[in-house]
Amino acid sequence: MKDRQSNTPTPPKYFLRFLRWYCREDCIEEIEGDLLEIHSKMHAVSPSRADSRFKWQVVKHFRPAFIKKASIIRPHTSIAMFQNNLKIGWRSLTKQKFYASIKIGGFAFGITACLLMGLFIRQELSYDLHYKEGSQIYRVIRETNFNNELGKGAHFPSPFASALIENFPEIDAVGRYNATGQFGAGGNQVRSEENATSYHEDDIVFVDHDLLNILEVNFIEGNPYNALKTPNTVVITASKRQKYFKNEEAIGRVLFLNNDDSKPYVISGVIDDFEPTSHFQHNFMISLANHDFYNGESSNWQNDNYITYIKVKPATNIKALTSKFASLVKKYFLPPRIASGNAEGIAWVKSFRFKLQPIKDIYLNVDRIRDGGKHGDIRYIWLFSSISIFTLLIACVNFINLSTAKSADRAREVGLRKVVGSQKSSLIFRFLTESILLSTFAFIIGFMLTVLLLPYFNSMLNIELMMPWSIWWFFPSLVCCAILIGIISGIYPSFYLSSFQPIQMLKGKVSNGTKNSTLRNGLVIFQFVISIILIIGTLTVTRQMDFILNKKLGYNKDQVIMLQSTHTLGDRIKVFKQELKKIPQIEAVSITGYLPVAGTSRNNGGWYTPSMTEEDAISGQQWAVDDEYVNTLGLTIIKGRDFSIANPGDTKSLIINESLASALNLDDPIGHQLTNYLGTWTIVGVVKNFHFESLKKEIRPLGIYIRPNNNTVIAKINSSNMQETITAIAKIWKQFSPNQAIRYSFVDQEYAAMYTDVNRTNRILTIFTVMAIVIAGLGLFGLSSYLIEQRGKEISVRLVLGASVKSIFQLLTSNYVKLVLIAFVIATPIAWYMMTLWLQDYVYRIQLGWGIFMGTGLLSIAIALLTITYQSFQAATMKPVDKLRSD
Amino acid sequence: MKGQTLGEFEELVLLVVAAYHNEAYGVLIHEHLEEKLAKKVNISAIHVALRRMEKKGLVTSKYGGITRDRGGRRKKFYIITSAGKKMLDHQYQVRTSFYNQIPKISFG
Repeated sequence: MKDRQSNTPTPPKYFLRFLRWYCREDCIEEIEGDLLEIHSKMHAVSPSRADSRFKWQVVKHFRPAFIKKASIIRPHTSIAMFQNNLKIGWRSLTKQKFYASIKIGGFAFGITACLLMGLFIRQELSYDLHYKEGSQIYRVIRETNFNNELGKGAHFPSPFASALIENFPEIDAVGRYNATGQFGAGGNQVRSEENATSYHEDDIVFVDHDLLNILEVNFIEGNPYNALKTPNTVVITASKRQKYFKNEEAIGRVLFLNNDDSKPYVISGVIDDFEPTSHFQHNFMISLANHDFYNGESSNWQNDNYITYIKVKPATNIKALTSKFASLVKKYFLPPRIASGNAEGIAWVKSFRFKLQPIKDIYLNVDRIRDGGKHGDIRYIWLFSSISIFTLLIACVNFINLSTAKSADRAREVGLRKVVGSQKSSLIFRFLTESILLSTFAFIIGFMLTVLLLPYFNSMLNIELMMPWSIWWFFPSLVCCAILIGIISGIYPSFYLSSFQPIQMLKGKVSNGTKNSTLRNGLVIFQFVISIILIIGTLTVTRQMDFILNKKLGYNKDQVIMLQSTHTLGDRIKVFKQELKKIPQIEAVSITGYLPVAGTSRNNGGWYTPSMTEEDAISGQQWAVDDEYVNTLGLTIIKGRDFSIANPGDTKSLIINESLASALNLDDPIGHQLTNYLGTWTIVGVVKNFHFESLKKEIRPLGIYIRPNNNTVIAKINSSNMQETITAIAKIWKQFSPNQAIRYSFVDQEYAAMYTDVNRTNRILTIFTVMAIVIAGLGLFGLSSYLIEQRGKEISVRLVLGASVKSIFQLLTSNYVKLVLIAFVIATPIAWYMMTLWLQDYVYRIQLGWGIFMGTGLLSIAIALLTITYQSFQAATMKPVDKLRSD
Repeated sequence: MKGQTLGEFEELVLLVVAAYHNEAYGVLIHEHLEEKLAKKVNISAIHVALRRMEKKGLVTSKYGGITRDRGGRRKKFYIITSAGKKMLDHQYQVRTSFYNQIPKISFG
């Protein structure tokens, strides 16, 4: 490598740069010159030795005598300087309204997304934090490992709680609640003694008095120490008192459940409503004192129906306490199972591992326990927070891209300032001020957008978020964030802009306006990668949702009405059914509480053939239905026959589903016998598998038999005027039950309601995808319009030389299309992996076909073209003379 | 002035500067020193020595004209001052006086 001016060979580049970097100005000429001279003399003899000698000499010169004095960065910005910066920043923003508004718009979008998500996440994370002694409150859960299946549960036997307090002095208090539907909890008709009208209430639960103390409830009426210690008492919340008794005192009054006047429940207390951030949201708490749900229930160690909470003494060692729980297995859980020879049960309890779950962790349910309560999903929190951060990132990238692209305009300003004597640090500060100003504007706009959009956001997701005006650190933290984001996104452009050499400006050489820097391209690719991943995600979720809603379920869910709480009709329910069938639009009616949608009755137990022992029983559902069940739901019998009224022997007949049939391993199950806890049944038919759980699960074994179960009546309707039919049904209902309002819903509605979380995810994803696309599109738009403007001269020359409009168009767009394609190639495997993970939750799912990916690819190219087309077209069709005239 | 000491290496450098009056600069000093001492010297030591001596006032410096060698970088020439010359004389005097006192025997 020879220098063109003289014949001196150039020494190793990086060492020379190193030397120039550290060396003092007053020595550099001498040292560099000497080193260069020695190097060139040696170079003639042996270039490599010359190079290594040079390097060594540079290193040896790195000593205090020659090192620059460290210049302390003193941003000598006084107040006046700061004001000046603001003024100049403001002016530069208004001078380029177009680009400034793109930057601000992108930022504002990103900030809105983050703010909305932030509010949501904040609420989800704030459940159950309000207890004064919350650090001492735990819920007991257990992990089991049975048949190589890991399970987690929160339900324990009735005597478990008292066993805990007996055996462990560290435990101050225990409290249980029982929400089992079969025992009478859950939905019931409630009426007060004075009023004949019953209302349906969903949240009745059986509770130990001590649980109320553990949960730190506040008693407005009644004795907080023993309100629920008497049997057949109930504690209600203030809002329920308002509903039933208006403003009067409720204590001492009586409530009846399901019109059963023989069992009065005396109100012994009224408490404040539970906080909205409490996971425990029940309004009627009935005492568990001396209450056996069936004979011997309260001392039975083989049934698990009670969720159990404990409160420990302060400073208890939780780990130590938990390990002590293992001794309870031997002492209590094992003996009854050994006595009854229940080998499966023995193995199961031996695999118990107890854990204590702090109360603040219950809502977010990291352990994924099914306890029938409302839960947030921590995975969604991760998902949404990462999406919002990425959206903000895209906006920052926009800012960086646009700022560096338009650097040519600033070159003059920077060059001049440097000539007049500005230090690099002040220049950096000046540009940072500008970007902070911009981000502050964006924050203000984003904030206003958030306030505007919050109601829509709330209604779309069925939540109630509020702006936390009252929190003192809310506004200061917003301001800090604005400044922080301004700094983060402004750092790179500031350094870049302030590094311009005055000499280049004087020469008129405008630096990289037209060159496509790799960084800028990389950033555009990054934006599009994120957008493409989001698009694919949204498409997948939407298609899965469609699949769920439209899949053939094996039964007919359309136009099937469910009338609820019909058990209050008592014996008249059969007559009611006959009356209903008289309505012409009704095709079939069935009385049963066991339905294939969530929230209806379930009963799991063992089925075993005469040749099997009870231990080997097949675990499956056992539903009590009536003879018109198959007909009403449109189930398909594939072997044997349906129940029939004519056949009186059907009182012991059983219809099983395909899963149970294959589990039994019989060629023809018809005629065989199966036994469950109620007795022995004869199989008369096999029904095609139908989905009675969510599509996330396999279809499990099921057997149905005729047995009275009255809490719901379903009817298959065939009508073009649904309203008319409903009115007719309501009229009959009023005749039978004048004091209880009719309550009904439709099976397909209930089915859709099972997937509200998917729906919610779908909506949020769609919103974010649209936002991300808009921001990325904006960025591309701004960038391309600027670069096209820069290349105006080049395009004019090309046009003059005879280029066609098409070729100019291609020239301008091809580069960006290439970028989008690269982004597509990068994004596809990532998105595929993520979507496959999500779909694994569902046993029944769509296939991730080529269609989604191809569609997304085409869509993203279309978006890119859309943003560039207008500008490119304009550029390609303009008069060349306009651009060349000013030269 | 009296209290100043001169290191051995510095003295050598100063001698060369004095010997090549008006022509002494980094590389030249380096070449001649290496040749006379017959051992490798790093030029950084020479630069440091020159700088120190300039601070002590034993040499002054001036820049030469711009030439085509050295990539256009000027040479920095060092010229001994009168103080420097006095120092050299003093050193020489001290050494010679001791040397002359060595008995005239064969040291093997």
